[in-house]
Amino acid sequence: MTNRRYTFSATWLVLVLVLFTALSCKRNFDDLEPATYPTTPEVFIDAFSEGLIYAAFGGSKVTAFDVDKDVFYKGTASMKFEVPDAGDPEGAYAGGAFFTEVGRDLSGYDALTFWAKASQPATIDLVGFGNDLAESRFLVTLRDVAVNTNWKKYIIPIPDPSKLTQERGMFLYSEGPENGSGYTFWIDEVKFEKLGTLAHPSPGILEKQDQVISAETGDKLPIGGLMETFNLPTGVDQRIDVAPAYFSFTSSNTSVATVSSLGVVSVIDAGTAVVKATLAGLEAEGSMTIQSTGTAVSPPAPAPTPTVSPDSVISLFSNAYTNVPVDTWNTHWQFSTAEDFDITIDGDDVKRYKNLNFVGIEFSSQTIDATEMTHFHLDIWTPDPTDPPAAFKVLLVDFGADGTYGGGDDSSHELAFTSPTLASETWVSLDVPLSSFAGLTHRAHLAQLVLSGDLPNVFLDNVYFYNSGSSGTTGPAVAAPVPTQDPADVISIFSDAYTNVAGTDFFPNWGQATVVSQLLIDGNNTLLYSGLNYQGIQLGANQDVSGMTHLHLDYWTENSTALNLYLISPGPVEAPFTLSVPTSGWGSVDIPLSAFAPVDLADVFQFKFDGNGDIYLDNLFFYKDSGGGDTPSVAAPAPTQDPANVISVYSDAYTNIAGTDFFPNWGQATVPSEVLIDGNNTLLYSGLNYQGIQLGSNQDVSGMTHVHLDFWTANSTALNVYLISPGPVETPYALSVPSSGWASVDIPLSAFAPVDLLDVIQFKFDGNGDIYLDNIYFYNDAGGDTPTIAAPDPSYDPANVISVYSDAYTNIAGTDFFPNWGQATVPSEVLIDGNNTLLYSGLNYQGIQLGSNQDVSGMTHVHLDFWTANSTALNVYLISPGPVETAYALSVPTSGWASVDIPLTDFAPVNLMDVIQFKFDGDGDIYLDNIFFHN
Amino acid sequence: MKWNNSNFTISLLLLGLSFSFWSCKNDNVIVERNWQLVWEDEFDGPAGQSPDPQKWTYDIGTDWGNAQLEYDTDRPENVSLDGQGNLAIIAKRESYAGSAFTSARITTQGLFDQAYGRFEARIKMPWGPGIWPAFWLLGSDIESIGWPQCGEIDIMEYRGQQPNLIHGTIHGPGYSQSEAITKSYGFENDRFDVAFHVFAVEWVEEYIDFYVDDVLYQRISPGDVPGEWVYDHPFYIILNVAVGGNFVGFPTDQTPFPQSMLVDWVRVYKEIN
Repeated sequence: MTNRRYTFSATWLVLVLVLFTALSCKRNFDDLEPATYPTTPEVFIDAFSEGLIYAAFGGSKVTAFDVDKDVFYKGTASMKFEVPDAGDPEGAYAGGAFFTEVGRDLSGYDALTFWAKASQPATIDLVGFGNDLAESRFLVTLRDVAVNTNWKKYIIPIPDPSKLTQERGMFLYSEGPENGSGYTFWIDEVKFEKLGTLAHPSPGILEKQDQVISAETGDKLPIGGLMETFNLPTGVDQRIDVAPAYFSFTSSNTSVATVSSLGVVSVIDAGTAVVKATLAGLEAEGSMTIQSTGTAVSPPAPAPTPTVSPDSVISLFSNAYTNVPVDTWNTHWQFSTAEDFDITIDGDDVKRYKNLNFVGIEFSSQTIDATEMTHFHLDIWTPDPTDPPAAFKVLLVDFGADGTYGGGDDSSHELAFTSPTLASETWVSLDVPLSSFAGLTHRAHLAQLVLSGDLPNVFLDNVYFYNSGSSGTTGPAVAAPVPTQDPADVISIFSDAYTNVAGTDFFPNWGQATVVSQLLIDGNNTLLYSGLNYQGIQLGANQDVSGMTHLHLDYWTENSTALNLYLISPGPVEAPFTLSVPTSGWGSVDIPLSAFAPVDLADVFQFKFDGNGDIYLDNLFFYKDSGGGDTPSVAAPAPTQDPANVISVYSDAYTNIAGTDFFPNWGQATVPSEVLIDGNNTLLYSGLNYQGIQLGSNQDVSGMTHVHLDFWTANSTALNVYLISPGPVETPYALSVPSSGWASVDIPLSAFAPVDLLDVIQFKFDGNGDIYLDNIYFYNDAGGDTPTIAAPDPSYDPANVISVYSDAYTNIAGTDFFPNWGQATVPSEVLIDGNNTLLYSGLNYQGIQLGSNQDVSGMTHVHLDFWTANSTALNVYLISPGPVETAYALSVPTSGWASVDIPLTDFAPVNLMDVIQFKFDGDGDIYLDNIFFHN
Repeated sequence: MKWNNSNFTISLLLLGLSFSFWSCKNDNVIVERNWQLVWEDEFDGPAGQSPDPQKWTYDIGTDWGNAQLEYDTDRPENVSLDGQGNLAIIAKRESYAGSAFTSARITTQGLFDQAYGRFEARIKMPWGPGIWPAFWLLGSDIESIGWPQCGEIDIMEYRGQQPNLIHGTIHGPGYSQSEAITKSYGFENDRFDVAFHVFAVEWVEEYIDFYVDDVLYQRISPGDVPGEWVYDHPFYIILNVAVGGNFVGFPTDQTPFPQSMLVDWVRVYKEIN
């Protein structure tokens, strides 16, 4: 402990009191340091201070300001500002600046202060200082200043007084009518002061946000949102807008981006740089992170000029047509990062989008009636990689009869395009039948086009609706016929029906004039050579086609008068084949490879076309003509299930149920037979209408999990298999036909509910075509491919749950768990331990369409249980209209049931107030249960 | 600070009056005294640590007879060391136990009290309308004889909307609430929330002197109070930050939160001869 001695004398007290009484006195400014410029603090006390000049702003009412000797806060006069009524012919607003010819040194003050009142409560748009009618380098403004009929003191802090050594801008104001009406406000006792009671300065740039900006070389990015807050002597924070010259800006990487003293960022190379600032030595909150991709990649040539007759077109954007009015090419909807630019390529106008996550294009003030149109067309070019699963999505929205958003009559549909439709660094023509927009049930009031997907950089041209039924070269209305060759006998170059040679370049630059694009016809990828002179195809790898017999090609042209196809081997050795043009609809040729002699068929590496006109091409492939493509050339694959887990109906691999009748006469037209293929017994149903199989004895297959069958058909367009128990109780399962070679399905037996699995008696097939069948058997997927127990029961209080799929809760009514979004997934519902469980077999993707849009903003998590033994990738998406969707990756495969509770914040920017769908993608067989939101 | 409340009106009028009289008095002789430190808390320790339980206890609850809006808790979020040698009492805008704000109120009740002496603390204020920090003493016999009979010495009170002003006050029988004896001390061009200042009373049998940074701005003697002089028994110490309440008014949307009162130290001395 220390002793402390405090000594006080009465003089302390006197000093305090003197200070107190001296407070209201005027400062003695002679005490300030000598300065080159006058330090006069007064701006307007009862008259203009020395050297003060007033100038009204352009467009303002120049007579708005006057000196008022009747109304004042103190002294003998004040400044009066008469704000005009809206539409005043003398000027629409009151505004002006008070400045001096000779600058003043204001570095000894910390604020501009004044008193103000008004003839009515009002909000003055802007007051401030630093406007010298020239550079106004040190402009400071206070926005939205509330005034009323009482005099009140206002304070505008000086962000950094040391900057104001020769300031000419003393005061400024700008104010428009209030609700259309003029009024009067008065300002008095305008002066600079050293208050000492301003505290906690907090400067900021970009409104104190940390922004991340994608940029490219050459971009100039002004840093906005320059501001500072001060705590006033009333304890309240006040925000002022501050000119850039008060700040010192720095870039973390000046080889990527530099920043000028006025806060303009110049992007000079690829890389990342962070721009920050200080004000009077204080670090400003907020930063701009520039992620520069370097020099922009743009299309070297314009998109192919459309050839559809203008009479048949409603164009939104094309130099080839007269365009209808479009309100905006970028609605800047919330969460959209898209930036749009108008650029020109060889004189052709092109829309460019950067940072495209989604962008709204709106033509709602004059909606488009496309009821007479058949197709929607747009050309896109992207420098971004388009490897799957990268998608580009096109959403069309019709506002319905009321012509406005909402109202219950809107309809829309979104299509997603992926590789190989999408391609990088080439113009891709998306030419889509409007019928493909299945959900777009009306198109008399089209109002929005929304582009989204995974391509941040998209160039857009030739956006139009058209009617393909009218004359003109509109291209084929239907896709090329689907090839029927067995894939095992094919080397494919370009076909949706086969696996194509990887890495083939369809756009090699051999100096040609031809414009190559790839488009979708009826969902089928098709090559288009516009304005052909010649065009090559460079195979991804040299091909030995000596084992093949023919080259197949489908082609379509209305205007070509000459067209040759060349096959080329190194040398080059090339041989032409003349194609008959023009075509009447799609022309198909099957050219014997011998026609291309002396080309080395063991080492083929290029194709070439020459001629003229616009040519559509599809299904370019080599094949081996095995003497008839309507029968399988190989046996069905041998099954691999353990015989111990199998009840076989028809298979050479297992012991079959004895006594089964494969040819019962149920009155069918089908001709059933048994054929030997590669030594393997195979059922053949020729000319199927329907056909039954009567089991030799009733079978209890409740211990089994699946029924397997292999099928082959080149010509069937419909095929169902039924399982039947006495009653009869029967349930169909649709098989995907025609098959491409042998197809195998493993159908969960739950897909046949309510058939009694304890007592299965028959199979039935119906449909059409010629069907080969083999390896029909039940099996138990005992190898751990199915869960043996139900998902764990959830324990959340039902009051805090919005359930989508769970036996434990009341689920949202009307949810569609099997919407047809074009997926290959086989979704079904199975009962595990008495618990309903969703099963996605062979997942590529699968949606869940909620019965009604859900506001889950009051929830914190989404829960789901999942089980998979074989998935290697699994994502769950939450989706709100737009669509806005975000993926969440689930850890697969699972070891037993896995449960996740995903914070809903992980799905940002999905609109949690309006959730409409789930989506899963990935692979494998997935069991799902207990999908619900909870709080 | 008041322990209780009814029909309170702002006592600024009274304050102004006593202020103008002050300079007329000529009996304010400062006597040299020999003060020996008997109790202190320097608030040294790691950030987030709760105050020393040997020295401080918590008043948990709300209102406190003053219509205070905050719920005072013992959570480190509301009261803990800042790791820089200070105690922070942190007022927050958050829903808690039915209140819209939280804060804390710590006392030495039952742990330490003393009659007479020098009580001082070095404090940096929070700010913003409706913020009401205080450093004050209450008579330890409050639970047996009640308030204001027990006596209250407010060494420092402050309104966040007047960051250049503090107030020193005593409440006793016949002169409590709006009739309390009080005076303000202010800066013309400085504020109490931008730097630390020392607030103190020197309490002897004959008077209580109020200091800011060793500047004496108020002396209250038995002759200055219209009722009984009850400052003759042990008092204990309270530190708190109120949000809202009769003394300060409501916080506004513009009040910045959170707000911290930082206390560098509290020291108590006894006079030795």
